[in-house]
Amino acid sequence: MTEAAPDITLIRLLLGFALLIIPAGLSWWVRLGIIRKMFVSTGRMTAQLFLVSILLIYLFDIDNPYINTAWVIIMIIFAAGASMMSSGLRFRHFFIPIFASYFLGAGFSLLYFIGIVVNPERLFTAQLLVVLGGMLLGNSLNSVIIGISHFYQALKKEKKRYHYLLSLGASIREAQMPFFREAVIAAMRPFLANMATMGVVFLPGMMTGQILGGASPDTAIKYQIAIMLAIFTSVTLSISLSLFFTARKGFDEYGVLKEELFK
Amino acid sequence: MIELQNIDLSVGQRQILKDVSLQIAKGGRLLIRGDSGTGKSTILRLILGLVQPDNGRVIIDEEVQNKHNIWSQRLKMAYVSQDMQLGRGKTESFIKEVFSYRNNRHLVYDRKELAKYFDLFGMNGVGPEHRLEDLSGGELQRVAIITALLLKRPIYLLDEITSALDANLKAKITGHFLSMKNATLVIVSHDQHWYEHDIQTLTLDS
Repeated sequence: MTEAAPDITLIRLLLGFALLIIPAGLSWWVRLGIIRKMFVSTGRMTAQLFLVSILLIYLFDIDNPYINTAWVIIMIIFAAGASMMSSGLRFRHFFIPIFASYFLGAGFSLLYFIGIVVNPERLFTAQLLVVLGGMLLGNSLNSVIIGISHFYQALKKEKKRYHYLLSLGASIREAQMPFFREAVIAAMRPFLANMATMGVVFLPGMMTGQILGGASPDTAIKYQIAIMLAIFTSVTLSISLSLFFTARKGFDEYGVLKEELFK
Repeated sequence: MIELQNIDLSVGQRQILKDVSLQIAKGGRLLIRGDSGTGKSTILRLILGLVQPDNGRVIIDEEVQNKHNIWSQRLKMAYVSQDMQLGRGKTESFIKEVFSYRNNRHLVYDRKELAKYFDLFGMNGVGPEHRLEDLSGGELQRVAIITALLLKRPIYLLDEITSALDANLKAKITGHFLSMKNATLVIVSHDQHWYEHDIQTLTLDS
């Protein structure tokens, strides 16, 4: 194990904020008009991360398997909520099925990753469960949002195609199948591109973090590879399950797409 | 037999159909005409159960249409409309997927028959191996017509199916459908080629 990178003192961190003078100056100079937004976003990031660090300190301190699991579930609730907000669908129809898909999809990948790949003495530690859970969910989130919005937007835009398939004798699921395929492909595409360039174009955050934390690049890379596989599985499972669970809700008894799904 | 009894239908604030009744016997032919917006296409969509009437009933072969029997009723019909969205991918894969539906599995997919129709309907240079996204509107329409014919349903619901075709093909396709003696045809069209034949006509007005 190499030595961990030195801690950053509070004063030094404030000096880090001095960097903002450059984008702010540029924004003022060419009148981008986003100075306010920039400070709000930076402020939010700082506050949220500080709060999470306090929480993480507590979680690490107590390190109770039940509390750790509860925190992962809270993160899943946030992830499901964020997916709903960004996909342009009505909350009340979809929240529970999407929560369930994350719970099963990300939950399975997380437990497999910890239990089978890392194989530690204790499974539900804050260090593994909470940290890896957050990473898995955070990385699955974008792809799942792309997948769900793609599916329902395509159905809305190509309603005629869907109805035509019904007229050809398809069941609801059979008529949804082409849309399902296209949505899963759309969700996977950025992720696959990302994996294919990993290490060449950019060094992923988890690996960088571990190396800064003192782990050897060798260990860091193995974790990175395994987490990418887990994220990929989590994305695929979460999307498939969320489309599977919501499939019946979006359609009436005649198989016709309900208009009130969309905001 | 297809029967519509006293159908009222509104979409939003607009009443599209008011007290519409009609009857088409087995093997019968009905041509529906009328200005745009008079609900011609809506009648076909009603028969397909893609839209529900506010009042009135749709009856297919003595069965009042409902959410349970709609799935088997749809298997008696083949529908082609004027602007088809068939999706993407190879033409033959699309048709094969339709044949793979649980409810269509009893049908035999016959590649020779497919080739025969491609030839008959003048798909010059376009074959089952071409991709749907590369086909023109008129070609997509013919793929849908061919799919409908391959499924051999007893009822054909044809919504302006010859609009994107030249005179020669119009004559060929109308002729082909009219020569199918046992088929029940419900046709929505402005096209002269149907009028030249002796068909029962329903005119809708607003």
